[in-house]
Amino acid sequence: MTTPTTFKPVSAPRPGENSTLWLIKIATGPVLVLVLILHFTVNHYLGSMSSGLMTYDDVIQYFQNPIIPAIEILFLITVVSHCLIGLRGIILDLNPSRSVLNITTWALVILGVSSVVYGIWLALTIASKSV
Amino acid sequence: MNNQPSANKFWAWFNPMGRQVGGWAFILNRITALGLTFYLFLHLIVLNQLAQGPAAYGGFIALTENPIVKLGELLVVAAAIMHGLNGIRIIFTSFGIGVTRQKELFYGFMVVALVAILFFAARMYMG
Repeated sequence: MTTPTTFKPVSAPRPGENSTLWLIKIATGPVLVLVLILHFTVNHYLGSMSSGLMTYDDVIQYFQNPIIPAIEILFLITVVSHCLIGLRGIILDLNPSRSVLNITTWALVILGVSSVVYGIWLALTIASKSV
Repeated sequence: MNNQPSANKFWAWFNPMGRQVGGWAFILNRITALGLTFYLFLHLIVLNQLAQGPAAYGGFIALTENPIVKLGELLVVAAAIMHGLNGIRIIFTSFGIGVTRQKELFYGFMVVALVAILFFAARMYMG
């Protein structure tokens, strides 16, 4: 008779993490893998520099297509959500008190919203420039 | 006082004593997550150079040729690959796929990660 394996880190919402947040984190994961491959390939391999990186003109030209800022903004919202929900999960591992968790949650919400607002401004600023 | 913050619970992640593969996978996922989160916000700040014009962005691009910056980039790529593949394993097992084969899944994904990291390292340093 074989001994049952002790390797069992099956993911599930932690105490203090509701299932919607957990599901968002899980669902955004594979989306990010795909978008990250695309993002990395375009920005690091298809640019006109010998290293494959994009020059300033490449980036401005790339952002002239209106679908690109839209994709980049969606990517930003997805990656920031995944990151900050994950970070909250890590903080939950430290078993914080309810008041510390509330403060942390609000700090992460403010950080996330600020990052997305900044990212949208940046994407639109780049898109508004001309070569 | 169980429900109190405890720094020991954080530092315990780095204790190598008595760990099994699952424990290492757990730690790897968290350390890469923290590194990638830090990088994400650094990346967003640095991209502000694009709003400042070609001279500012050119200066930043020149910096990426520095070998230490390249090493940092490689670490980010490595963390992203390991975190992504480890995350896919976690999704599989969360939905009941490969639950009894988690060790093999982890080792398999980490071999793929190693090959991908070596590929990117060769691409970065040897052109």
